[in-house]
Order: sequence, then structure tokens, then C-alpha cells
Amino acid sequence: MECVVQGIIETQHVEALEVLLQGLSGVPKERVRVHELCLKSGPNLGVVPSEVRLLCDLAQPTPSWTIRHVGGSMRGAGAEQISVLVRTVVESKASKNVLHYFYTIGYKLDHELLKIGFAFRFHRGAQITVTVTSANKMAKLHATDEAVPVTPGIQLVEITAPAAADNYNDVASAVTAFCEYLAPLLHLSKPGNTTGIVPTAGAAAASLMSSGGGKTL
Amino acid sequence: MDAAAAAAALGATPAAGAPPPVAAAGEQQAAPRAERLSAGVQQQLNLEGMRARAVGLYKAISRILEDFDVIARTNPGASPKWQDVLGQFSMVSMELFNIVEDIKNVSKVFVVYPRNVNAENATILPVMLSSKLLPEMEVEEATKREHLLSGIANLPVPTQIEKLKARIDMIGSACETAEKVIAECRKSYGLGARQGANLGPTLDKAQAAKIQEQENLLRAAVNYGEGLRVPGDQRQPHSSLPSHLVEVLPFGDGAQNFGDNSGVYPKNTSTFAPNSANTQGNPIQASGGQLLGRPAPSPGATGTPNFENVSTPPMPYANSPRSGANMMNTPSPQQHLTPQQQRQKLMHASQQQQLHAQQQQLHSQQQLRPSAAGMLAQSTIPQLQDLQGQAQQKLQVPGQQQMQYNQALSQQFQNRQMQPGRMQPGMSQSQLNQGNQLRSHLGQFTGAANSAMFTAAQASSNSQMMANMPGTMQSQSLLPQMQYGLTGGHPQRSHPSQMLTDQMFGMGATNTTSMMGMQQQQQQGVYGNMQAGAQNMQQGMVGLQNQTQNPNFPQQRQQNQQ
Repeated sequence: MECVVQGIIETQHVEALEVLLQGLSGVPKERVRVHELCLKSGPNLGVVPSEVRLLCDLAQPTPSWTIRHVGGSMRGAGAEQISVLVRTVVESKASKNVLHYFYTIGYKLDHELLKIGFAFRFHRGAQITVTVTSANKMAKLHATDEAVPVTPGIQLVEITAPAAADNYNDVASAVTAFCEYLAPLLHLSKPGNTTGIVPTAGAAAASLMSSGGGKTL
Repeated sequence: MDAAAAAAALGATPAAGAPPPVAAAGEQQAAPRAERLSAGVQQQLNLEGMRARAVGLYKAISRILEDFDVIARTNPGASPKWQDVLGQFSMVSMELFNIVEDIKNVSKVFVVYPRNVNAENATILPVMLSSKLLPEMEVEEATKREHLLSGIANLPVPTQIEKLKARIDMIGSACETAEKVIAECRKSYGLGARQGANLGPTLDKAQAAKIQEQENLLRAAVNYGEGLRVPGDQRQPHSSLPSHLVEVLPFGDGAQNFGDNSGVYPKNTSTFAPNSANTQGNPIQASGGQLLGRPAPSPGATGTPNFENVSTPPMPYANSPRSGANMMNTPSPQQHLTPQQQRQKLMHASQQQQLHAQQQQLHSQQQLRPSAAGMLAQSTIPQLQDLQGQAQQKLQVPGQQQMQYNQALSQQFQNRQMQPGRMQPGMSQSQLNQGNQLRSHLGQFTGAANSAMFTAAQASSNSQMMANMPGTMQSQSLLPQMQYGLTGGHPQRSHPSQMLTDQMFGMGATNTTSMMGMQQQQQQGVYGNMQAGAQNMQQGMVGLQNQTQNPNFPQQRQQNQQ
């Protein structure tokens, strides 16, 4: 299971967000360049179509593949009180033949996406991963070199934290608490809800980006 | 906070943040050693990170103050934009709060240590460092204490403690209810969790709408893939796949898409050439025109990803088990090789060729003894143990290949505990560590004498076997003649393992242990072919070709026994 929130930020403020995250997390940023292939099962594979995502991490010298299956999210009154989305997720590393394997058993490519950006992984009440990426689409199949952003001016910020059935409340509150720190720059919400941008993000970004080191007091 | 307090706070934090840390054990080493924080403290407190944060905070605050200064200087009448200032202040205070919280957790192991005593702070330092309260603070505390314990000062101490606890609880519950009420009111008024979010400039409607639209696009694209789906007819293979897909997609793709993408196919052939260079030795050997390296439009031109035609499995890759059975299927043109030819061929050829040659030879041998197949069906439980007893058989090796075979067989069979007695020699051998042993067996005839055998022995981790090998050289000539005399009660067969062991024994000092050693290693390999049935001939052939041939094995045995 994982707790996840998403938000958007204007591309011009991404650098400021990076500075802020760097300060809050204390870990070095990791480059993210992920080719995400979303496969849907064919009609011969069961009544309900299932969807599986293959993530190919292109940031490493040798690409590494991950299979990711996103399940349903928690529903109900309890879920509505939590400000993060809690959903089941299964992830696994795989060899590079995984794409071929899924094709062979009947999955078909539904869409693909190239995510380029950076991420911070740290522990703050829970193991939190903050990913800031621009989603790029490819006009031609698998043309990762020619990917263009879906929305050039806006990037996606995603905060996830793995959780278990017995501790998701704590994890959710840890994530919420961390999100407060990002409030000057962006609003975060469950993936289904839109948030808009923060009007004063510009000022906050400016203060973050100013070179600092003013006169000694 | 005013500038002085801020400065004091900042002045103190760096001092606390980068002092000579206190050794966890509390022992100060006299010798100049690098002092480190204990592991536990280090886990709780990332000192470098803390320092970075403190420095960052310091810079932020000084920046803010500088802004104030600039405004005050340039335009004495103006006031700063308070909204921005408040926003920055909230961030700064949040960060300071966090730093203080983190340090509080580990403050027990730290001591504030004045780095620099000079005229400026010499007077104030003792006051700051002392733990005694200032006089005013003392008075304050006294009055508070009196107020607190006014009603209960006369009671015994435990009762006082209880009463105070009860008061604390009451206050705590009162606070909680108050928070709840506030939260509910916030919700009902739609204020949201964060105060002041609606102050300040708002975007004008058009801009907000644009951004909203973009946001919806982005979220839909990432979460659901909207706007990213390329219609099937446009899913044409790109001219060059990215590197991480080059290796992955071509496999089987051509097989899948044969017949699917007739429309696409011709287009792809033009791109085929550059892609074939990327296949990296892809052993796919379909009929010409297979679209190696074509990216996965397994969706294909037909408009829908159509994988139903994946009936033919992809051609065997390099990673499919290269069983000797494959070679079985290729007819062997050479049927009769002279021993000399065979030896040279075996020695100089690659492993496969060697296997092939042996297979061919075996074929020839097989043809001479068609009845051999029937033998396979009769598997008597082998008596490897019996072999032990037959120690005095002289190893007569008529020909090289037989020698090789014998020795390979001997290795293998001695490892087997169970062997059908009527196996055609060499049939029973399945793939062992064929390559090494095979070559090593073959190598012995290159004149390198026992070096190959030595390698074989090493492979089987049984050096004792080598001691027996030298004896084999001389007896090679006898092997071919042994083809037609088998012991063990069977006209043409004897227990191959028996044969082998005999030979092994004949090779010199019988060395039971060496055989045992080999048994363990090769038992599994030989098992594979010890299946009754004519079909096993084929399998045995497979096995044979992977090891040295030993067509003369049975005969040898017979001779030995006779």
C-alpha cells in the first residue's frame, strides 16, 4: 500500500521547489528519467481488464525495469477524512525481458509516458519520496528522444510513502505534515482532485532562490 | 523576533551545531584523535545536514533583514509588502522550529561551548552559561509556584502530584475540545487547514482557467493516460528504438507480427537494415525478412495491438538451452572417419564440432549395431558397486575416440549409482560438464598427454583420477576391437559403467576413491539418458556427442573380462 498526494507547480518555480526540498530533506537529489509503459490486458486474459505499468529507469547506466500494479484506493468515510490517497500498490523489479513477456501473454501497450525530473527520498516520520517530473509524451512509438511535455508550463509533484494496513494512518499524517512545509509553493491533494497553483508561489520561490548570504548580523 | 535575539539565536546554533562533539562514552581521549558522535546520536541527528539547515536559516533571516534595510534606506516612508514578509517569516519560523525540535532530541549529549571569548561577550557569557536563574526570573518562578500550590501546599507531596496531574488532564481535554471545535468551524466555513491562504493577490479568471485546464491535462495524462494514446494506425515503428528497448523488443516481435502488419511490413523492411545492426548477434533465424529490431508496433498497422498470432514461439535464442538434441536433428554426412581423422578433427574443432563428429561417429557405430536400440529397453539396475570389484581389467584402448569415450564414460558412470545394464555405450551418458571434460578428453591425444585429463580431473575435483589416466594411453589401441564382445551376459553389451570402471581400473592402480569422487559429480548427468526405450537412443546420442564417444566400450569390457 502507499499513501500518495499530487500537486502541480509551474515550471518556473521548480528550481525553488528543489531548493526547498533539498533543505527539508537533507539528501541529495536523484535524477529521474523513467519511461513508463502502461499495458492493458487483452480480452483473452480475463473478464476484467487489468493494467500494469512497466517503468524503465533510464537514469542509470544500465536501464532497470520495474513492474508496478496500482490497485484500488481505499474508500469510505474513513478514507475521506484522510487527506492523502491510500491505495494498494505492488512493485517488483524485473529483467529487461519483462516487456516482451507481457506482450507474449497478451498485454497490449495502452500508452507510454516519459517522466523527466528529480526526486528526493528521505525519512521524516515515514519513508517519503517526493518526485517532481515533467510528463512527456512521444509522438512516435517509443521515441524517447523526441518526447515533448504534455503541459510545458506545469510539472507534476508527487509525494508517496509506502504504508501497511496497520500503519497507514501514521504514514498519512507524516505525509500531511510534510506537505505543510511545501505549502508556500504548491497545493497538494489526492490524485483525483484538482488543486490549482498557489498564487503567492512566486514570492516564495523568489525568496528561496535569492542567493542568500546577506550581511552578517 | 528582533535582530539581536535573532543574532543571538543564530550565534548559538552554529556553535552548538559544529562543536567538538561529546564522545558518547563521555571519555575525552588525551591523544589527538578525531572525535566522533556515537552511532546512536548520529542516527538521530544528521550533523552535517543540521549545520546546512542552520546556515540556510541564517542566510534566510539575514536576507529578510537586508530587505527591510533596503526598503528603509531607499524609501523611508514605504512599508514592505507584509504579505510576502509574513509568508517568508512563516517559512523561516517553521524551519527554525524543526531545527530546534531535532536538536532537542539529542541535546543531552551536547554542551554549549563558547568558541570565542572577547571583549564583546566576556561580560555576558557567564550569565548565559550559568544555570542559575536571573533574579527577575527567580522572582517570577517563586510567584508562579506559590500560585500553583496555593491550595494544596500543605498536603503531602504525592497528593500534590496527583492534584497537579488532574489539573493537567483537565486542561488537556479542554484544549482538545477547543481544537475540535475550531476545526469543525473551519470546515463549515470552508477555510481549509491553512490560514491566510486567501489573502494576497489572486490570479485573474482567465489565467486561473488556463492553469486549471493545463492541470487537468497533466493529471489525466499521468494518472490515466489521457491524451497519450496513439491511434493504432499511427503506431508505426520508429526508425530507431531507444537503447533500452532495442534488445527487448526484437525478440519474437517479428514472429508475432508476421502476417499482422502487412501494411507495416514493407515500410519496416526499409528500416530493417539499420536495426539489424542492433540485434547484437540475435540468433533468430527466421526466413528472410524477419523484422529484427523492429520496435514494438506489435500493436501494428492493423489498428489494434494484435497478439493472437503468437503461435510460433520465437526462434531459440542464445539463452535457450542448447541441448545436444538440436544437433541430433542434423543428419551427419560423415559416417566413417578413420581414427586418425577423427582424432585430428576432434582436437582441432570447436566443441560443437567435436560433438558433431562424435555424434557422427556414433551414428556409424550405431548403424553397425542396430540391435543396440533394443538394449536400451532393458535396464538393469546398475552395479556400479560391482565395478569396484573388477579391478584388474586392463584397459585396452584401440582408438582415440574410444579412449576418450571410455574415460568420459568412466567418469560419468562411476558417478552413477543406477544404470541400466543394457545401455548402448555412450547412450547412457547425458550431458555432463561436457565442454570441459569433453575437450579435456579430446585433448589428451594431442600429445599433451595427461594435461587434458588433468583438467578433466580438476573439473571433477578429483585429482586422483589423474593417476589412473596415464595407464589409458597405452591401452587405446585395444578399444576398437572391443566392439563386438560384451560381457555381462549380453552379446553386445555390457554394463557401460562396468566397462568404464574396468577401464579405469585398467588404467593403473585401481583407485576406488577416484571413481567415487566422479560418481558424485556426474551421477546426475548420466541419469538423464538411462531411460529405457528406443527413444533413448537418440537421447543417448545426444549425451554421447557431448562426451567422448565410446562405441567400443562394450567390446572393451568383454575383452577385459575375457
